Amino acid sequence: MVGETLRNLLMIAWLLPLVGFAVEIFGGFWGSRKSRTAAWLAVGCIASGFLCSASALVIWGNANHWSVLNKQSHHSAGEHGEHDAHGEQGKGGHAAEPAPKAEHGSVSAQGPYVLTAAVEEHAAESHPAGPTVYSGTLYYLARIGSLDISLDYYIDSLTLVMFTMVTFIATCIHLFAMGYMSEELTEEYVDHNAHLSNGHHVHRPGRFYRFFAFLSLFCFSMLGLVLAGNIFQVFIFWELVGICSFLLIGFYTERKSASNAANKAFIMNRVGDFGFLIGLMVVWTFFGTFRFGETVDEKGTVVQAGLFQLIQRDETGNVVRDAESGEVIIGAHDAALTPGNSRKTIPYALLVVAGLGVFAGCVGKSAQFPLQTWLPDAMEGPTPVSALVHSATMVAAGVYLVGRFYPMFVQEVLLTIAYVGCITLFMAATIAVVATDIKKVLAYSTISQLGYMMLGLGVFGWGAGLFHLVTHAFFKSLMFLCSGSVIYGCHHEQEMPKMGGLWRKMPITAFTMLIGVIAISGLAIPGLVSWSTIFAFSGFFSKDAVVATSLAFVKANPSHFLLFLMPLLTAGITAFYMFRLWFYTFAGQPRDHHVYDHCHESPLIMTIPLMVLSVLAAFCAIGGEQGKLYLMLTGDQPAHVAHGVAAAAGGITLPGHDAIHAVHNQAGTLALIAAVSGTLIAWVLYGTNMVNVAEMKRQLAGLHGFLANKWHFDELYDGLFMQPAHIVGKFCSWIDRTVFDGIIHGSAKVVLFVSKWDRLFDENLVDGFVNLLGTSTFAVGRSLRVVQTGRLRQYVMFIVVGVVALFAILFTTFPG
Amino acid sequence: MSGEAFLFTVFAAMTCFSAIAVVVSQTVVRMAFWLVISLGSTAALFFLANADFVGAAQLLIYVGGTLVLLVFGVMLTASGPYMKIGTSTGETVVAGLIGLLFLFVVFASVSGVNWRQPVTASADNVATGAVGNTLRPLGLSFLGARPESGVLPGEDAAGTGYLLPFEIVSVHLLVVLVGASYLARAKRRAVPVNQVV
Amino acid sequence: MAADLNAYLLVGAVLFVCGVVCMATKRNGIGVLMGVELVLNGANVNFVAFSRYTDLGLDGQVFSLFVIVLAAAEAAVALAIALNFYNNHLTIDVDRANKLKG
Repeated sequence: MVGETLRNLLMIAWLLPLVGFAVEIFGGFWGSRKSRTAAWLAVGCIASGFLCSASALVIWGNANHWSVLNKQSHHSAGEHGEHDAHGEQGKGGHAAEPAPKAEHGSVSAQGPYVLTAAVEEHAAESHPAGPTVYSGTLYYLARIGSLDISLDYYIDSLTLVMFTMVTFIATCIHLFAMGYMSEELTEEYVDHNAHLSNGHHVHRPGRFYRFFAFLSLFCFSMLGLVLAGNIFQVFIFWELVGICSFLLIGFYTERKSASNAANKAFIMNRVGDFGFLIGLMVVWTFFGTFRFGETVDEKGTVVQAGLFQLIQRDETGNVVRDAESGEVIIGAHDAALTPGNSRKTIPYALLVVAGLGVFAGCVGKSAQFPLQTWLPDAMEGPTPVSALVHSATMVAAGVYLVGRFYPMFVQEVLLTIAYVGCITLFMAATIAVVATDIKKVLAYSTISQLGYMMLGLGVFGWGAGLFHLVTHAFFKSLMFLCSGSVIYGCHHEQEMPKMGGLWRKMPITAFTMLIGVIAISGLAIPGLVSWSTIFAFSGFFSKDAVVATSLAFVKANPSHFLLFLMPLLTAGITAFYMFRLWFYTFAGQPRDHHVYDHCHESPLIMTIPLMVLSVLAAFCAIGGEQGKLYLMLTGDQPAHVAHGVAAAAGGITLPGHDAIHAVHNQAGTLALIAAVSGTLIAWVLYGTNMVNVAEMKRQLAGLHGFLANKWHFDELYDGLFMQPAHIVGKFCSWIDRTVFDGIIHGSAKVVLFVSKWDRLFDENLVDGFVNLLGTSTFAVGRSLRVVQTGRLRQYVMFIVVGVVALFAILFTTFPG
Repeated sequence: MSGEAFLFTVFAAMTCFSAIAVVVSQTVVRMAFWLVISLGSTAALFFLANADFVGAAQLLIYVGGTLVLLVFGVMLTASGPYMKIGTSTGETVVAGLIGLLFLFVVFASVSGVNWRQPVTASADNVATGAVGNTLRPLGLSFLGARPESGVLPGEDAAGTGYLLPFEIVSVHLLVVLVGASYLARAKRRAVPVNQVV
Repeated sequence: MAADLNAYLLVGAVLFVCGVVCMATKRNGIGVLMGVELVLNGANVNFVAFSRYTDLGLDGQVFSLFVIVLAAAEAAVALAIALNFYNNHLTIDVDRANKLKG
């Protein structure tokens, strides 16, 4: 029953925005351009979605007596051996310590995970070991051969937390957007950034309703992605999210830069999705199913195991492989081997390919190296879009998918993920240091933080990476909204060098932004409440978790030391560029008095979401890894995560929770030092006038240019892909023009020649014959016309003459 | 010269003469008069040919009915008494010549054909047209029965009556009656009467 | 002149030719109708003659009866047409009915 309730609630939350979209796009088209109805509808849909999600979360928690929260308190209290009386032991044991592992033994610990897991009541009632997952099918789309394409759902704690987070942030951003987009509430909107060929600005009708319709469609897609119960469904919504992103980036479609950015984002994502498709093919070929959970028929018997049950791990956490061939066994490895009942296996390399393929999709969607260049350009969209789509949710979808698909990833894939994340986070952070556009700074910061998440996932910090995903969503959406507020207040001025001292004009924005900046920088005050706890905003805890995991990882695998050093260094850089942004924008003296004089604080409808989000950005992660958010999130973490993976021969050791816990304080301290030093440097450079920044910039012109040009990635891609493509294109066009055009022109000439003769034949012979027929008929009719005198008596005469003539002929022919 | 031959000659002459008179007459009323004579003489010829019922029908329907109808028509359409609508002489001459030619052709064909042997009246073929007293056989044949059938060689015993044609003719007459009255009904003129010249 | 088949046929031929000539020369519509009656009578004479002088039997008489009836019907309809024509043209001259001239 719990499963059905959850399913229904989440389905409502998921489908409401779709309804909203349909109504908004049509209603808006025929409605008034000045009406805010569309916005209120969108807000209503997504807010109801949030209520549904939140209540689903509560129902889920009540159904298992908040065991996820309780079990972890055991951990923190060190009561390793003590378990709940009503059969929570399996789960608690897995999540907590390696000690129970010995009790259950490998088979019994893994067995229930393989055989039970999924479905509804029988999972919830018997409280088996392993995650409590509710999965099933909503709707069958198609059946192609043995391939079922269906809309499934897969509900575990990650789904629920993501749902709540997405709907909540989306609600805030919808509200904010109502203020931000209010300029579109007009019949004639003048776009000052788009020029016609005659130099005038573009005038067009306002698109307020369309913006909210797209936002609603986006929410629908994102929630569908999160709810998806099979990897193919994920792919469907993946693409839907992509198209929403395309629509929203290109919202100011008259601007050349915006339409280019939309194209760029879409095409870059296609590159990643190509890998995704390859991964899907491998999965389908070898596993024969796309579903995460089990396929269950009406009677409740398991028809087919889900993907996550098909890959099994032994007591060391490694995937179970066939002793002879070394291939990975699909399905129950302890099943009796009888002749004619051979095991299904998949070559290990192909499992790696499948993982890398799916990860390639995530690279594209989450703007990881080397497909990161689209995200900064995506800032061409309206700022609420940047906040919702390109920082808090959509780009997080890649991270989410890595987390969701985690059981299928083997060590090599995880290592790739870690390195990709590592490169990304460092590179993006360095670029952010020199960026001057306020939104671009945040964009690079987003890429960098996404890199953190990937790194966290890659070094086996499943919880850490996703934890960072959630906290980042809060504070990044907050900061983007703040920047939106600044841009709105400064009349669409985005360049930070023209700002300065804005906190006097917009105190709420400045203050909330400061909270976001502190959160992302990971500043903390140890020992404020008590010695054992740290007072910090959310970013500290999640980044701390990532850094701690990577430290544990590096300790286990010293050759990969970069995986710890880079994030640590970047933590400092992060603090630096974020405070640089804040000081640049809000502190100091106004640099451009025109901008300063005209700027103003945003209306309440924009600042209230800021305040709400700032509270959450500050306190959502309170308690760190013993906090409620983290525990909720990791309630259903993959079974092998908790106690790490021992290295196979020559392989990589993945740290378990205890290993991470051991280095937690050390890592936290280092990260905090880095963050504080970064903050200090930023304050020195930008908060005070002690150092001439312009002078420094001149002295480091080479480095600055390199960074300001984004590591020359655009040029690199231009040289690597664009130019060859141009050359190939030119060659093709040459072939086209000379060879194919020649052939075509030749054949055209031949056809022309033939048709000339054909015409002669037609005109003279055919037409001549037809005309002859026509004219002769006409002539006959003409001559016969004379006979038709219309005089009755003459006709009688004719008859008589005719009869006489006939008789005459008769007599002459047959005389006698 | 028997009496029958004498009578035939008289009536044939009358018939032919009055028919020619119809052609030659210039006024419709005289034409009608000569037509009456011609049709009446024809009826007499029918009696002579033993076709008593046909002759009677000829007198009743033609002389008594159709001719009266024609006279009514004359009266209704004549703009004045003794109305003449002259025909040009050329036309008359041409028509007369062609008529003579046609008559010649018909005469030639009639005399040139060797008709079947005439049937003589006898007691054996009492019901045929050769002996007269045809009222009963005709009536029976209209009802579908042929009492004289089988008399002639090669004739079917039954089923050769005229019930169906009789019915069709009856209905035809009815339809004609309706149609004629419809056509001839007084119509409202398109223009007021006083404007008609 | 003996009353044999040929004599009757000759009388019928005369009637027929008179009718045709009447139709061809009379401009009066009623005259044309009279010509038609003559033609039909000529045919009738032939029928009756064949009935009398060949083994045709009663069939000839029956046909002549049908012809009489049809002639009556024809006369009625033709007269109706003539009246209509007169109503429309205020004359009975058939040469005026040349609307169908080619």
